[in-house]
Amino acid sequence: MTNSSLHIGRLLRSTTSDCVIGCRASELNLPAFGGMVRIPLAEGTQIFGLIHNIQIEDDGLIRQLITSDNVPPDVLLDNRNNRNVPVEIGVIFIGYQQDGVISHLLPPRPPLSLDEIFTCTPQEVVAFTGNGRFGYLRHILRRDDLPQAELLAAHIQQAGQIHLTHGRPDWVEAVTRELVTLLRDDYDRLMSVLSAIGDINLS
Amino acid sequence: MTNNPENTSEKSLGYVVGGSLKDSLSVRLTVPPQEVKEGSFVVIESGDWRFYGTVTDLQLGSTNPRFADEQSENRLPPEVARLLHGQTLFTNLQVLPALMQEVGPDPASPEYEQWRSQHPDDSGLQPQPVKTVPAHHALVRSARAEDVANIFGEPSQRNFVIGYTREQNLPIPLDLEKFVQRSSGIFGATGTGKSFLTRLLLAGLIEYNKAATLVFDMHNEYAYDDIASDTKEVIPGLKSKFNPRVRVVGLGAGASIRGQSPDFNLTLAESDILPEDIEMLTRELNLRETTPATLEALWHDFGRTWFSEFKKMRNGAMEEDPITGKKVPATDSVAFWANQAGVNVMAAEGLHQKLGRLFNKPYIVPNPPQDSLAEIINLLASGKHVILSFGDHETDLDYLLVTNLITRRIRDEWEKRTNAYRSHPQKNPEPRPLVVVIEEAHKLLNREMAAQTAFATIAREMRKYYVTLLIVDQRPSQIYDEVMSQLGTRVSAWLGDEADIAAVLSGLAGRDALRGMLARLQPKEEALLLGWGVSLPIVVRSRRYDQRFFEELRGASPPGRSADDAIRELFG
Repeated sequence: MTNSSLHIGRLLRSTTSDCVIGCRASELNLPAFGGMVRIPLAEGTQIFGLIHNIQIEDDGLIRQLITSDNVPPDVLLDNRNNRNVPVEIGVIFIGYQQDGVISHLLPPRPPLSLDEIFTCTPQEVVAFTGNGRFGYLRHILRRDDLPQAELLAAHIQQAGQIHLTHGRPDWVEAVTRELVTLLRDDYDRLMSVLSAIGDINLS
Repeated sequence: MTNNPENTSEKSLGYVVGGSLKDSLSVRLTVPPQEVKEGSFVVIESGDWRFYGTVTDLQLGSTNPRFADEQSENRLPPEVARLLHGQTLFTNLQVLPALMQEVGPDPASPEYEQWRSQHPDDSGLQPQPVKTVPAHHALVRSARAEDVANIFGEPSQRNFVIGYTREQNLPIPLDLEKFVQRSSGIFGATGTGKSFLTRLLLAGLIEYNKAATLVFDMHNEYAYDDIASDTKEVIPGLKSKFNPRVRVVGLGAGASIRGQSPDFNLTLAESDILPEDIEMLTRELNLRETTPATLEALWHDFGRTWFSEFKKMRNGAMEEDPITGKKVPATDSVAFWANQAGVNVMAAEGLHQKLGRLFNKPYIVPNPPQDSLAEIINLLASGKHVILSFGDHETDLDYLLVTNLITRRIRDEWEKRTNAYRSHPQKNPEPRPLVVVIEEAHKLLNREMAAQTAFATIAREMRKYYVTLLIVDQRPSQIYDEVMSQLGTRVSAWLGDEADIAAVLSGLAGRDALRGMLARLQPKEEALLLGWGVSLPIVVRSRRYDQRFFEELRGASPPGRSADDAIRELFG
């Protein structure tokens, strides 16, 4: 993760709880699964989200190229840089900031089409995830359609790494404890989440 | 509210999660279970109120049985497994609340001033029996020295230290003033230190010296120095330590107790024995149901000399009738008297034969040189303590007859003195409280005997006449329920039998919770204190009855556990 906020795409569609961003294939090295993004709205409000899905659609040209014996490098490069179908990035909203105050509730209204989306800086990640008592986790845990364990592990790995150097060194322990509290009545889900967290490797 | 075990205050053991006043409170433990033991004295801080209770059980639990069933530490990294177990696996304490006390807000807080103005003095702020429950999540902590002092009192002559708490070695005193106001009991299976507990308490009572004690020492243990059967150490005798305050009386003329001469000997006059003394021995002498009628006739014919007269009669003596020449009962025979008195001859002869065991007792004499019974009563009334050693007369028959006879006399005497005092308090002194110590109490206070002996009456109502019992027994289940339920303070060492445990706890609140504690006491040197005389049930390591104990008792050094004690506890 870079230290500055980088533009990764624009909004394709959204609801009150999530949105889909379109970005060029050439920009795909920026967003990561489990990474935090922010969508600035008007009047000092910005929405925070977590990338839960990155989807690359095919088109007619791709279908034709796939069947050919050999794809020349310049054709491959052209397809990456100039393709018409954007890469779709699924983002789940986990909170927002209004007048400098961070909230782990859902944003009052969704962003509009073509609104710009940026990656979060380490300071923003520390400020958001270190605020309150991990209320934003409930937005992830209520979504049964998401790969929750993997998403949480990816998020904790990235945020934990930042906290290790910029925030609370015990953040991973605290968030794990909170997950145990939230999921202790659901043995299967908790063990799956903990098993994924157990695979995290912080350096 | 989320309670993270790791976040709770360092001093707390856990927090209240449930329970009821009727049963006990459940407390989620936030420290390793090894830090708390059954029988511990704990304090629950709930707002302006403080609750005092005893740990009666520890239970392992889990939020979901699968967390307990599966060894997740094998599947997860250690730090993740630790976090998981910290919240899903837990230990619950069962705490039996006994007392509650209003302590008000923190003196440093702004609310304190207002609270203090509503409670200008401390009169309503004493610990009282628990009548409500603490709030959810109220913090629980181990009792500190000041809590023990608050509940049990500061150690003093009156507040006699009987032992120490198991965890922190805090001294637990027993209020001797309260102890002697009602009958009490010391129980425990054989070899659990019952006699040592009795010696401790007697030493405390004699030192405090506000009540006289009369010890029926069936096995000649208490008066003179003895050798412990297990450690081979010398056990100081009460006479040795408290001479001249303690007088030893030997049963029978010329009796010697462990090779030593007692202060004086007890001989009973034949006229002291009443028909009811014999009736009480029905089981011991295997008497028939005709006995009361025969005794009634004897009493009717001879009055107080009935025993002597009956003893003089010859059993089966016959003589020739000078007129008819037939064999007829001799005029000094039992049969002759029976025919005269209209009593069944066989019954009278049978009784005479069975009373032969009593007729031959050397301590029952026609005309004793002195009224030893009156002497004992005078000693007790004048502030002495009396140990009646049975010497060689250690049979149940001796014990039953002598204890009952003496106790009956004492009861009559104290009743008389109390009535005199109540009628004319200016003219008559207040009777000195008396504690009668009886060993093997079940022999005198079992269901059959209780109604006939003086002891049951004392246990039930003699409190108002300044006489109480200290019952020492290993089979409390054999003691009549009505007597057991009247006992104030109960000190119990380990008991194994379910019926005995139930008997010791009879009439007490929370007995179901206390039952396990009794069964799991250490077999030696541990005792559970409970009942009316103890503010709340508590397990103590009993004080050692040795030279150091007497030094502490005399004020040479404060009560405490020596290095030797600690080493003995560690290594046995």
